[in-house]
Parts: sequence; structure tokens; C-alpha cells
Amino acid sequence: MTVLTPPSFASGDPRANRAVLCWPAAAKMAGALVLIAGTAVVPAGWKLWFAGVALLLGVVWALGRLPPGPVLRRLLALSPFVAGVALAAAWSPGGVLDWKITALRSGLCLATVILLAQATPFAEMLAVMRRVHVPALLVTTIALMHRYLFVLADEAERMRRARASRTFTTGRRFAWWAAATVVGQLFVRATERAERVYDAMCARGWR
Amino acid sequence: MHIPDGFLDAKTALATGALSVAGLGYALREVRRELPPRRVPLLGLAAAFLFAAQMVNFPVMGGTSGHLVGGALVAVLLGPAAAVVVVATVLIVQCFLFADGGVMALGANLFNMGLTATVGGYAVYRGVARLLPGLRGRVAALAFAGWCSTIIAAAACAGQLAWSGTVAWRVGFPAMVGVHALIGLGEGAVSALVLLAIARTRPDLLPDQPGIAATPGRVGPFVVFGLLVTVGIALFVAPFACPWPDGLESVATRLGFNHPVSSPLLPALAADYQLPGITSPGLATALAGATGALVVFLLAIGFSRLVVPREGPALKTEN
Amino acid sequence: MIPAIQLTGLTYAYPDGTAALREVRLTVAPGECVGLLGPNGSGKSTLLRHLNGILPERFPEAGGAVAIQGEVVAAGNLGVIRRQVGLMFQDADDQLFCATVREDVAFGPQQLGLGPDEVAARVQHALEEVGLVHLGHRPPHHLSSGEKRRACLAGLLACAPSILVLDEPTSGLDPRGRRELIALLRSVRATKLIATHDLELVVELCPRAVILDGGRIIADGPTAALLDDEPLMLAHGLERPHILQHRHPHEVKPETRSTKSEAPAPASERAR
Repeated sequence: MTVLTPPSFASGDPRANRAVLCWPAAAKMAGALVLIAGTAVVPAGWKLWFAGVALLLGVVWALGRLPPGPVLRRLLALSPFVAGVALAAAWSPGGVLDWKITALRSGLCLATVILLAQATPFAEMLAVMRRVHVPALLVTTIALMHRYLFVLADEAERMRRARASRTFTTGRRFAWWAAATVVGQLFVRATERAERVYDAMCARGWR
Repeated sequence: MHIPDGFLDAKTALATGALSVAGLGYALREVRRELPPRRVPLLGLAAAFLFAAQMVNFPVMGGTSGHLVGGALVAVLLGPAAAVVVVATVLIVQCFLFADGGVMALGANLFNMGLTATVGGYAVYRGVARLLPGLRGRVAALAFAGWCSTIIAAAACAGQLAWSGTVAWRVGFPAMVGVHALIGLGEGAVSALVLLAIARTRPDLLPDQPGIAATPGRVGPFVVFGLLVTVGIALFVAPFACPWPDGLESVATRLGFNHPVSSPLLPALAADYQLPGITSPGLATALAGATGALVVFLLAIGFSRLVVPREGPALKTEN
Repeated sequence: MIPAIQLTGLTYAYPDGTAALREVRLTVAPGECVGLLGPNGSGKSTLLRHLNGILPERFPEAGGAVAIQGEVVAAGNLGVIRRQVGLMFQDADDQLFCATVREDVAFGPQQLGLGPDEVAARVQHALEEVGLVHLGHRPPHHLSSGEKRRACLAGLLACAPSILVLDEPTSGLDPRGRRELIALLRSVRATKLIATHDLELVVELCPRAVILDGGRIIADGPTAALLDDEPLMLAHGLERPHILQHRHPHEVKPETRSTKSEAPAPASERAR
């Protein structure tokens, strides 16, 4: 399940004063990519690599005074994949060591991505994407999605609450139809909002 | 079904990455060509919608609840190319912002959920909607397509895990496909219900789908997407789903990533699918799969009859 | 003198056939601040959308009914028109579609084709004008409703339009947000047309008011006189604002009640 808290940023703080946060986004993204790629594919025997990555992450976290909560929570909530592979290892040849290494890789990469997200405002990530010539249509779509996902999530929550306040039956069948209408209505609202956003973009000169 | 980092090896990551980039690139080109400028913000808004929709709870039992994935649904609502872009956007944001799905595994996740589930589901929907008339037909088609999309994605996922040597096929495939055969029922049902809800309030938002009088859409997208998915299936699934009894082990050994066989800790849980009277396990698996699909297809039709009231005197005998 | 806005018999029907505007005639002189009032469904938003060419969906071949600074709005000159008319929509979230406030304010100038230095200068100036410099790096969903409205206004001001058209600018704002926005609007130099339910705002800012109902202009005249006409207001889904019921230091003298045609010079109209 996803953690739906937008990566918070030092409110009002000019980021120039905060370590890590002021590092250029491109460098952070590239660095994270190298760490993740390496961790994912290095042979299982390279214990030094894993230790080094963990140390590096810890140092960066401390430097930036970033909250450790989200990472720890995600690591503790065992991914179904990790659990599944652990089970598979119990039943099939390959030994138990394998799944532990897999879990370690997975955990380190997870921590790296979360750290990146906490240390880099999304707007900067988008700017980097534009610079490396990711297709404009894709960047615009990602940008608009990010902009409006909290808005729509709020709307969904409000609709769900409104529905729940008017629901007196508890049947599962009814609950499914109620949830489906919320989703359907959400799509309708998203479509209408898209039209209004288009009008707003045109009003300021977009072609 | 978001694969985390560390489960796929380099070659799988590269192969899936290449296929996904090709598929997404093509989808973007199609969208740029076909989508009127007025609808460009709709892509982003639809991605936001999908993300928010995935958080809505559909209670299953006890305290657990299911959630919509929505690839097939979005494909029906916006067309396959736009749906590929939308689902890819959701996966990318989930990966980088919410650490849902690995960065190295993004290629695989895009291939499974963004390409295979979305386009495959859409193809199934179009095919079935051609056979079954009216709103009931569309609802049944989407219910079945939703299930199919989940299954296909699960199979591809299992294949990628096996190709990486993380989870052997004979364990991964039954586990993934078995679990998702059940999850897929929920996905199909929810997708169909949402379509129905939209059809009830804003039928004008549903794109004009071919019913019995089929106006063929452009063939190009189907060919390209179909090709990409087929290549992926050939890489990840075919080597394992060999019809010959020992094909599994021999292929694995030949390709050099079979694990050394030591006696398992517990007796094998996943038995090959066997049907009485049929000796070849591969054929038995195929037949079991086909039977399962047929059962779900009939369930989908029954479901549509349950949720969509009778439409008029013109309705003839079912099935 | 060329009017800033001129509507000559504007008629419009929605795609499903419902009539929205019927033979609307309106002239707004440059520099005027006009309040547009009317009950819900009267066509206010529809009218505003005609002013920068969002509507109609298809322009008529033979001249339209909307002229901005003397130029008739048509499919071919939308770019020019939109440069002159800054339209602020009702929902601030629809308008703030970029990743940060600064980026959003920069959107307009960038579309105008200005160079990066000019864009940055305009963004800075606009943010200073609305008092949001300290929030420039924030994503829009971190802003309060009042701040969002001001950010929208900054986005418009950065394009330096001569005409500002606002749709319900104070709806949903808390009293402080409302006061800040009203003060801001008062200080902005432009021709202003404000569609609103906020009757007090109209009394404070707009010397002239227009009442729209059922797609037709019902009344057009000095604000104090119009809004003081209780039967008229009640007949069209409005009411006489409290601000006029008591002697307000900036506004109406009690004698005005019986002399509707006389236009008192409201003290709030400060020549700049």
C-alpha cells in the first residue's frame, strides 16, 4: 500500500541553508540511480558494497536531518514479494540465504528511493526529466498527475465519507456498489476538471 | 504486483526496460497523433484519478479489502494508447514518489501492468464486446477483460522472476497465477461496476465502442503493442511453459541458471496441474487454463445479468 | 473612446440547447470597475468565458458580439485577446496547474514568448504585488485558499493584462483572506469586471453594478442605487446588502434611497 503523504519540505525555509536539500537534483537522481542499479545486480558475495551503501544512506539522512519514519515503516511492512520468495525458498531448492540477500537488496533500494524523494522537490525532478529530453507529453502528464492527485484523493475521501454517512445497510454487495459509484464519480469529476484546466491553460496563452 | 528492486537480474531489467520504452514511446506517438489538444490535460487528470481510485476500499472479508488496479478500465474509457501513457505515469510516480515498485524493476512493472495488462485487457474487451450486445455485453466484456489482464500480467511477472533466477517457474507460476486468478475476479467485477456507474450517470463519457456492428479501429496500434507483448511473452513465459515433461529443467540447465537441486525442506506444494486421463503436464496445464478462463467468462456474463437490468424486448436467448 | 469591453447583443445556447445568454448588451469603459451580479444559473460564468474566447465553441463567420479594446473576438485573434484579458476562474485549483507557485506565475509570461530574464522579473514583481514571494517555491496544494487565489492573481498580473475578469474571487475565503484579496484588487490598475455573490465587495470596489438574470441584463447602474433597490434585488435572487442598511462611512447617504437616478460619488473611488 502506498504511503500517501506528499514528501514534505522545509516550509518556507530557503533551501540554500539546508544540507542535502540544496544539492542539485540531477546529481541526487543520478547518484540514487547508481546506488540502486549497483545494489540490485552486484553478486551476493559483495558484502562490502551493501555495508557501504547502508552507511552512505545513514550519513546522508543524518546530514539532511530527514525524518526516518517513512523508511522504517516501509521496511517493517514486509512486501508480499519478499514474503513470497521466503516461502518459495522454504519449499524449493536454493537455500534460505538467497531470500535474505534479496530482502537486503530490496530494503536498501527502497531506502534509497525514499531518501531521494524526501530530499528532492518533485518540481526539480520534473525539471531534470525535461533536461534529459523525456518526451514533453509524458513530463506534462506526470506533472499534472502529481499536481492533482492530492486534490482527487481528497475528493475521493470526501465522497466516501459522505456515502458512509448516508449508509445504513452493511451488506458487502451494497458496499461494493457504493465504492464503484465513488470511483465512477471520481472519473467524471476528473474529466470535468481536465476541461477546466485546459480552459485555464488556454486563458494564459497555451496552444 | 509491483516488483520491488533486487528481484530481477540485469538482463531481465534491461530486456523489460527496452520493451517498455518501445511500448511507451509508441503509445506517446499515437496519443500525440490522435488525441485532440483539448484532451491533453485529461491524461494527467486520468492518472491522478487512477491513483486516487486505487485507494478506494472494496471490502472482501474480515478486515481485508481489495483495490482496483484499473488498466483495462482506463483502456476502455480512453483508448489503449492513452491508457498505456496513463498507467505508465501512475507507475512512474508510484515508483519514485511512493517507493511502490523498484526503480530497476520499473521496466518490468511497466511491461506487466502498463503494456500487457492494459492492452491485453483492451483486446479481450473489444473481442468480447463484439459478441455480446448492449450495455450488458460491455459490462460482461470488461469483467472478463479485467480478469484476463490480471492473469496475463501475473504470468509475465512469474516469467520475469524465473528468468532472473529468483523464483523458479514451477513455484512462481502457480503461485502468481493462482493468487491472481482470485484477485482478478475482484478486478473484473470492480472494473465492470465502475463502467456501469459511469454509464448510468454520464454515458456521454464512454467512447463509442463497436458493438455487433463493428467498425474496425486502426490496426496499427494493435499490431505494434501485440508484437511487443509477444516478444515479452516469448522471453519470459515460453521457455518455461514448455509442453514437454522435462522441458522445464532442461531449458533451465541449458540457459545456465538452474539452482543446484537439494532436497527441499518441505514436500512440493505446487503440483503440476493434472487432469485425469491426460498424461502430458504441459497440455494439462493449458487445458486447465482454458477451462478456468471459460468458467470466468461465464461468470462474467452471469455477473452482468445480475447488475444490469434487462434492457428491452429485443433480448434473445443468452449464451 | 474605445470601450474596453463591448457586448452587442451576445446570445449563446449550451450544446444541449438550453439558452444561456440572450441579447446581452454591455459596455465597459477603460479603467472602470463593474460588479456583475445575479443568482446561480443566471449565466455570469458563461458570459465571462466569452470575454477571452473560451466560448463560443465555434465562432460565427460574420462578426461576433464581443469586442475587446475595439477588436472583435474571433478564432483568429485569440492570442491577442488573451493577452489583454486576464480571466480568473472560480476554482483556484483549476488555474494553478504547475508544480510550484513560481512556475505557475511564470507560465503566462513564458507563453508570451518572453526571455528568461524578463520572465523572472515579471514573476518576482507579480509575487511582490500579491505578497507571496515567501511561498514561491511551494507546490500549490500546500497553500491555503486565500493564498491560492492570490497566486492565481499573480499569474494573471505577470501577463500585464489591461482587463481583469474575475469569477467569484472571494468565494470560500475566510474573512482575512477575503480582506486581503479585496485590498489587492483595489490596488490593481486595470479595467475590472467582477462576477460575484459577495455584495459587500461590489459596494466596496465597484462604482457600477450590472444584474444578470435568466441570461438577460436586468439592470445596469450605480452600485449604491442598484443594490439599495430592495424589490429589484429580491426579484432576482439577491438581497439588499447589510452594508447599505447602516450608514457606512465610505458609502451611501440616506437621501439616496429616494433618488435612484442620482449617482452619489462613493468615497471609495479614489483617483489614482
